[in-house]
Amino acid sequence: MEPVTNLSSLPTECTSSPLTAPIWQDVLAQAMTGELIAAMNYTALSEICDDPAEVADALEHAEGEQGHAAAFAAEGRKIGVHVANNVDAKYWKRLRIAFLRRIAEHDFIGCLIVQEIMLESFAVASYARVGKVAPGSLGRTFAAIAAEEEGHVEHAMEILRAERGLDPQRFDDKVHQLHLEVMTTLAEMLAKECKHGQCEVCHDKCVKPSLPEVALTPAELRGASLQQYLKTLDMLGLPGEVTLGWVTQLPV
Amino acid sequence: VGLDFALIGHQESWRAAADVLAVLRGPYHVPLPDDEIKDILPWIPPRAICHVEATSSVGAKARGAYIDSFIPPDRLDVAYTRENLTRVRGAAACAIKAGAKIVSLGGFSSILIEGNFDQLPERHETVFTTGNTLTVAFIVQGIKKMCELEGRDLRRSTLLIVGATGDVGSGCARSLAPIVKRVQLCARNTERLRGLATELLADGVHVEIATELQRFSAEADVVICAASLASPSLRLARIAPNALICDAGYPKNLSPRAEILGATVFFGGLGQITGGMKFAPDFHGILNRHPFPDVVHGCLLEGMALALEGRFEPFSRGRGSITPQRVEEIEVIAARHGMCLAPLYNADGPVKDGRPCRTEWSR
Repeated sequence: MEPVTNLSSLPTECTSSPLTAPIWQDVLAQAMTGELIAAMNYTALSEICDDPAEVADALEHAEGEQGHAAAFAAEGRKIGVHVANNVDAKYWKRLRIAFLRRIAEHDFIGCLIVQEIMLESFAVASYARVGKVAPGSLGRTFAAIAAEEEGHVEHAMEILRAERGLDPQRFDDKVHQLHLEVMTTLAEMLAKECKHGQCEVCHDKCVKPSLPEVALTPAELRGASLQQYLKTLDMLGLPGEVTLGWVTQLPV
Repeated sequence: VGLDFALIGHQESWRAAADVLAVLRGPYHVPLPDDEIKDILPWIPPRAICHVEATSSVGAKARGAYIDSFIPPDRLDVAYTRENLTRVRGAAACAIKAGAKIVSLGGFSSILIEGNFDQLPERHETVFTTGNTLTVAFIVQGIKKMCELEGRDLRRSTLLIVGATGDVGSGCARSLAPIVKRVQLCARNTERLRGLATELLADGVHVEIATELQRFSAEADVVICAASLASPSLRLARIAPNALICDAGYPKNLSPRAEILGATVFFGGLGQITGGMKFAPDFHGILNRHPFPDVVHGCLLEGMALALEGRFEPFSRGRGSITPQRVEEIEVIAARHGMCLAPLYNADGPVKDGRPCRTEWSR
């Protein structure tokens, strides 16, 4: 598949009405921020890898995520909006700190669980939903990036399955610990309403109440993300009744 | 290690779904608000939610799992058939992955799959049963017991079956038609109604058929409601005063708002496992929401009975193939393991000592 990095060079196409452009602006800002966080995470990961092949892999992923961020910025330009990003926004910063804690511990497996299982589940599912409803090239870009993100999870899954095979209980306990830290933050970010104040990414007021205007809802973005997360944990072999218990305990 | 059995089900109301999520959420978390439950449930992929251990009255044990397909209670109608079929297939895949030797298809799961077992995922060593033969057995036993309690002579009764051409309805027709005075069969498909009527007529049974309940004379004094309805919406217009009504639907067929003058209603198709049943985590009273312990729908009990018997075979295949001989066979197997007709009850509570409780449907 052609990397989505190159989508920014597609010819300009008017894909959004002026009325909905501010909504897409915030959706793009969230996506772009997430991609930049992912790029930073992969770069940091490359620094703790011992295997040169893994180093190369991590750097390649970092570059890919930066390409996605660029593609989202380009989509903003096509609809006449500036797509800002804020990697220090409160939820994203917490997610970044959680990842850096694993880096500090040289916990390669922990890093993969946070980035590939938790953050990518959110990205794949929410981009796929946006890809279905966003007009024109905006929708195509989200759909293509969702597919690309899903594709590169497979390599991490192989590593994580092998790790779980060594000691399933220990592995599952580790996932649970990371779940409590990372998924709690993601769940708060994905809540139907921002109960704890602004997320610091939206350009004006919170975009969530406006999402129905572009045929999205906060509930479906959250539902699809958690569904993808559960399915990914299923593929890793974690017991479904246990992981569902974890998910039902997340804040709403 | 593989399981002896798996039970595939779904919740029939939002209340029941909320209770399931509350157990999963654990005692230290406040229950989720209703609107959140309605938002979350449709996204939950099918999965096992608890382990089940069934104990035979002779001491044997069978290990299994309850797998919820998480079909939302308000999405049971035909508009969601494709989505629900995907969910049941997903639940079946969970059962296969868990190594279940036999799988019972509860509620709408069997309606979606019956006769189309080839639509299930690659099965390896797992067999599927709709479980409907044991459901029919318990409906028939319940009718006979209620008639006995009320001093009714079943041989002089006119039996109305709503949903008559379905797997359960047709099984009940074949089992009860030879012992009642007259049979009225109601279903949506005229061709299938005619086929069933022809079959019963050949046995010398007096049969009437109609696709609308209003077409029958108001003579039915024993009624079995076994229609596949997405919600309790059936209104029985023309039946005899003081009729005996067995609601065997899941979800229930009868609307709580329906007024049926003087009728006695009981919930049919339920059995009790006298050797006991354990859930881990503890879903007692949540997955089996009955006023008596260890009561389960016949369709799910069939899988447990066959597992305890060591007969891992697709006993009930659906599509109206249930015969009185097969009903008798599964009754014997179930009885051998202490599975018997559950105490009878209705929306108002237990039916006691020949003085059945009137239901909220009665005046």
